[in-house]
Amino acid sequence: MDNVMAARALMGVSLGFHIIYATIGIGLPLMLMLAEGIALRTGDELYHRMARAWIRPAGLLFAIGAVSGTVLSFELGLLWPRFMEFSGPLIGMPFWMEGYAFFTEAIFLALYIYGEQRLSRRALFLCTIPLALSAALSAVFVISANAWMNTPTGFTLEGGALRDVSPLAAMLNPAFAHQAVHGTLAAYAATGFGMAGIYALALLRQGASPYLKRVLVLALAVGSCSLPFMLVSGDWAAAFLAEHQPTKLAAAEAHFETMAGAPLVIGGWPDPATGEVHFGIKIPKLLSLLAYKDPAGVVRGLNDFPADEVPDPRLVHPFFDLMVGAFFIMAAVAGWFWWRIWLKDDITGNRRLLWLVVLAAPFGLIALECGWMVTEFGRQPWIIQGVMKVAAGATPNEGIAVLFAVFLLVYILLTAGLMKMLLPAEPPTAGPVADREERHADS
Amino acid sequence: MPTLDELAAAALLLGLIMYAVFGGADFGGGIWTALASGPRKQEQRESLFHAIGPVWETNHVWLIYVVVVLFMVFPRAFAALFIALLAPLVIALVGINFRGAAFAFRHFGRQTGRGVPLIARTFGISSMLTPMALGMAVVATAGGSIRLEAGRVLAAPWHWINPFTLVGGLIGMAICAYLTPIYMAVRTRGELQEDFRRRGMIAALVLGGLTTLQIPVAMLNAPAFAARLGLPRTLVCIALTVGCGLLTEVLLWRRRFAAAQIGAGATVAFTLLGFAAALYPDLLLGQLSIAEAAAPRATLLAFFTVLPFGVIVLAPSLFYLYWTFRGSPDPEAPPEDFRL
Ligand code: HDD
Ligand code: HEM
Ligand code: HEM
Repeated sequence: MDNVMAARALMGVSLGFHIIYATIGIGLPLMLMLAEGIALRTGDELYHRMARAWIRPAGLLFAIGAVSGTVLSFELGLLWPRFMEFSGPLIGMPFWMEGYAFFTEAIFLALYIYGEQRLSRRALFLCTIPLALSAALSAVFVISANAWMNTPTGFTLEGGALRDVSPLAAMLNPAFAHQAVHGTLAAYAATGFGMAGIYALALLRQGASPYLKRVLVLALAVGSCSLPFMLVSGDWAAAFLAEHQPTKLAAAEAHFETMAGAPLVIGGWPDPATGEVHFGIKIPKLLSLLAYKDPAGVVRGLNDFPADEVPDPRLVHPFFDLMVGAFFIMAAVAGWFWWRIWLKDDITGNRRLLWLVVLAAPFGLIALECGWMVTEFGRQPWIIQGVMKVAAGATPNEGIAVLFAVFLLVYILLTAGLMKMLLPAEPPTAGPVADREERHADS
Repeated sequence: MPTLDELAAAALLLGLIMYAVFGGADFGGGIWTALASGPRKQEQRESLFHAIGPVWETNHVWLIYVVVVLFMVFPRAFAALFIALLAPLVIALVGINFRGAAFAFRHFGRQTGRGVPLIARTFGISSMLTPMALGMAVVATAGGSIRLEAGRVLAAPWHWINPFTLVGGLIGMAICAYLTPIYMAVRTRGELQEDFRRRGMIAALVLGGLTTLQIPVAMLNAPAFAARLGLPRTLVCIALTVGCGLLTEVLLWRRRFAAAQIGAGATVAFTLLGFAAALYPDLLLGQLSIAEAAAPRATLLAFFTVLPFGVIVLAPSLFYLYWTFRGSPDPEAPPEDFRL
């Protein structure tokens, strides 16, 4: 593996690892806030028990999120020092603001987790508000940096040197709006469906209880409410790409020839050598319609661009389809579930429905990871679209493959340790049993 | 009147000091977990773990702060340092990962700490490795082994290992080992408190010895840095460090723990300030000055515009956190009255 390849692989693996924990780090605070809020309003203690039962795994997952995020911020320098030397003054600001958000998040998380004996119930609830808010903001800020890599603004170039630097203009770059909305809400969708799956499984194994039913409904409500926004903002994202990153859209849609009334290709395997898509399903004019709201719109294809400036559609198109497919799977299951609720069916006894919820559960996170692959592979070969290629941003150090191996091992060990900690846990009915005595034996 | 660049450098130094004073105590917790001894071994470990619990993630964010400030306001220094110091930074990073994970596994995991000695050992070892590697990396910026030529970073592969950086690494470890027992003495009672008091006094002697040792080592191994030690501003810092260190020992001796805790933090802060005073006006001794490394003015202005907003949110929140968990180290226990 050459050095740049190894650096890319390491960056991709690290981000793919971090985003799992980051997603939970955004979604769970919202769930905590809702549960504590409902408990406070209705006086229904089950909701408070629910929230307290989450904190033990949450603490664990947050810790992994924090250390894997630290790896990332170091990797920016260890792997991409040239890129950061150029972009630090521009995208430093969102990272700087993100730092504050992390701080706030860490503080209120600690207060919430450890404060049971020292804070009132109202204070505990109030702590979850800045917690949820700062978690969402930390995502919005870091996504701004990523959006800048897609649509760099806020500077001019003079012989390769930066001029007229404006960090604010860089932060509010054109891709920021849709990526921030789509990327942040994705965390709620993924967390909601993921947790719903866990509780549906618990219902299947242990039979109905009012506690499990309430959790399931709450988790699935959070997931389902985000779905329509995912569709709308995803559509917005695609339309935006048509204008600002046509190569990414073309790669995502496996679209080779520039044409009016372009078809939408679903599935299939694009072959960049021949410019054909094998086994795909073509729906006439749909791509033009989606991208330009006009069935006759002209969509530019990959063949329209220099061959060394386009991404590989084999890496982008399958992930794109998987993201959109995952959306429809989740939407279908959620639709059926709420319809049954509407009919006042006993959902906790409906095993088929519960199994479907279990089945749909991982697709939030799958869609989220896939979406990021679309964004990142779709930007290739640029590290800053149109300004700097990936190879130019990389470190001159040798032996990055060794680094890749080292961190792969670290991630494998962390995952193994986490599995060992989380899996033997009894099904998530625990509630307040895991209290004082046990916690003391813990240390 | 300091320039904008210099103010930004001060903000960077402040982050480093905060990380040493707060995050350092966390690492010290790991070190003393590994070195726990005597009849109250188990109590020592437990109280250390309890005390780190609510604050470890917050303390850890200071490191992120340092990295972000470095790449936002001193991008050239960030690039040069992360190219030249790849190896020690990777070691520190691996240590940070294992430490964080081991701590979390022990604290939140199903298995209880007693059953999993491997976790405790990982926690101890990585708590030593990380401050050692970070100490070496920080000190290497003053060792003269990294050169910049026409924008290229030149450094021998093992340049970061030499007597000067090795003592620097040991100082890093000693700082951590020094702070923790003194902080713990405030939060414990009886025999346990005496244990921590004794350990704090011994660690103080070790830290003092190592920093003193670094002076002749620098003269031999890093002459350019040693020459800067004689500057008046550096001498003032050194005098303040020695003064605070001695005062802290006296306070410990007289069991004035709350005051000793502040004295210990100040000792560490002045140690780092002294290092920075000698390095000034450079970020990379003799190679890259603060002014040369600084980002464009618009970025510095943006940096300082955001700063007060952050402080407005953070200062009360942090105060609330430390206030809520004052007194007994066990967060599950109700707060006791806290006396200075
Ligand atoms: C739960 C997760 C999830 C779901 C259901 C969807 N997406 Fe998505 N998508 C993401 C999670 C995601 C993401 C991981 O969050 C990305 C990566 C970068 C970003 O901002 O959001 C993303 C990026 C992304 C992009 C690239 C944006 C860019 O690079 O600027 C497009 C075009 C779409 N999405 C389109 C869609 C469409 C048309 C969807 C469905 C109908 C859809 N997404 C559902
Ligand atoms: C968390 C979700 C993310 C995932 C899963 C992800 C995934 C990836 C992958 C797979 C690559 C390698 C692409 C290739 O080289 O072919 C990559 C590269 C990179 N990503 Fe991301 N990314 C994410 C978010 C971000 C964000 C928020 C930033 C913001 C700064 C970012 C910065 C980078 C950089 C600097 C590179 C290296 C240059 C390049 O290969 O283009 N990523 N990412
Ligand atoms: C879209 C991509 C990303 C999202 C949504 C995201 C979100 C988050 C969230 C919510 C947290 C705190 C929750 C937790 O600790 O589990 C976190 C932690 C962290 N992230 Fe990310 N992140 C992303 C990518 C990145 C990138 C590219 C970097 C750096 C280059 C980064 C650096 C960090 C750091 C340093 C932490 C630890 C903060 C702490 O100590 O508490 N993240 N991230």
